[in-house]
Amino acid sequence: MRGGGRHARRRRMPAGRRTAALLVAAGLVAAGAGAAGLALTRHPDVPQAAALVVLPAPTGPIEAAPAPGAAQVAEPVSLVIPSIGVTSALVHLGLTSSGALQVPPTTSVAGWYTGSPRPGSIGSAVIAGHIDSVTGPGIFFRLSQLQRGDRVYVKRADGTLAVFAVTEVQMYAKDAFPTAAVYGAVPDPELRLITCGGTFDYTTRSYLSNTVVYAKEVS
Amino acid sequence: MRFTRFARRIILLAALPLLLLAIPAASAATASAATATGWIRLAHLSPNTPAVDVYLYSFGDSSAQIVLHHVAYGTVSPYEQVPTGDYTVAMRAAGAAATSAPVLSASVDVVAGHAYTVAGLGPESGLRLQVLDDQLTTPSGQALVRIIQASLKQSVVSVNWGGRMLQSSLKFGAVSSYQTVSPGTATLTVSGGGGQTTASVPLAAGTVHTLVVLDGPAGLQIDDLLDAAGSGTAPAGGAATGFGGMAPRGPSSPLPWLAAIGAGLLLAAAGGLRLRARRVPAPAAAGKHRVPAARP
Repeated sequence: MRGGGRHARRRRMPAGRRTAALLVAAGLVAAGAGAAGLALTRHPDVPQAAALVVLPAPTGPIEAAPAPGAAQVAEPVSLVIPSIGVTSALVHLGLTSSGALQVPPTTSVAGWYTGSPRPGSIGSAVIAGHIDSVTGPGIFFRLSQLQRGDRVYVKRADGTLAVFAVTEVQMYAKDAFPTAAVYGAVPDPELRLITCGGTFDYTTRSYLSNTVVYAKEVS
Repeated sequence: MRFTRFARRIILLAALPLLLLAIPAASAATASAATATGWIRLAHLSPNTPAVDVYLYSFGDSSAQIVLHHVAYGTVSPYEQVPTGDYTVAMRAAGAAATSAPVLSASVDVVAGHAYTVAGLGPESGLRLQVLDDQLTTPSGQALVRIIQASLKQSVVSVNWGGRMLQSSLKFGAVSSYQTVSPGTATLTVSGGGGQTTASVPLAAGTVHTLVVLDGPAGLQIDDLLDAAGSGTAPAGGAATGFGGMAPRGPSSPLPWLAAIGAGLLLAAAGGLRLRARRVPAPAAAGKHRVPAARP
């Protein structure tokens, strides 16, 4: 009887402490695991792109905007942006059935919106390209790194080059896209380069913002 | 004392991940600043006025920003992008000294994003410099067109494009208002008292044109100026130009980890409290009980 009581008492006391200690230990382990998990997932899990290769400027007869009333310039066929290593053919882009800008069929090529003026003629010519694919960088991955004054070359079907200088680099939320500034009429030869940017929304699988580079033809 | 410090630590630990989450959200906001510039172009549209030199001065600056030499009748310069502000346009006879008094001058207040044509209009005897506020926005899917009547030979003209009367009885030296037209290519007919002139003129969607009626070597001449161009149809919204392959991963993924940290800390705190609750009163209580148990 006494012995049993002693045993019971001895068991009861350490059991409470043991449970409490276990709670502390389990709690700390859980918190530690959580912190570790958080730290691991917070680490910049940004896939690394290959190093930037700056390209030489293309060569060819540079033709500034034609005099008002002159014949139209030729269609754009390719794009070179030496400072961010972009060289791409230009596909034709139209509109989607919902009226949005069609995007290039692959992420490795840029496209000219055929509803916009031809690059190098009066007006705001529009070229769009992807920032990335599901697995890696797209043709305009480094577009947002362009600096004011950087050159952009558009080669046309007749072999002539239109040369632009970057004037502005902006990022806009897609739900506040400045349609008039990007697609509206301007009285001199300008270029808009469009890609995605900002936060990627994994539920809609799309970026929430657009990067827009404004450039003006240099003569 | 020790408990409050412990609690404070828990709160700090729990708050830290939230702070980490807030940083990228704050840096995502990007400011946008519009550049304050407008455009000016200069034109000589007075038929019997000899060539002129045209000077553009920024207000308060005596050295000209732009000088166009020997500008003859019918010449319209390309647009020059200039910072916003007040400007003076001065016309001098071709070859006259820059310091000589100008024949004519006009002032222009350049507003951001606006374009202006400063044109010498009328006959030489009544030459004037007129500042035209040029339009840059077209109704969606439409074209804009206006007419400057600069023919002295046909002092009154009517202008018809594809069967649509754009302007009737426009007098010499006058400028019509802008007309909105459905885009297309059509025949432009300019008719006056002494005959008419036709030309095929395309007016594309999203473009702004100025048609200048001039005295040609024989009869009328039409100068079609493309003032501005944009997208005929502006795409709706932004562009879907990314698939996320290079995006930083999982803005929503920290929640389970935060829950684990929170639950773990609560568990540890609960355990810690229980340990303390048993330890603090223990020496007295445990002593009483142990003494009789140990005596035999």
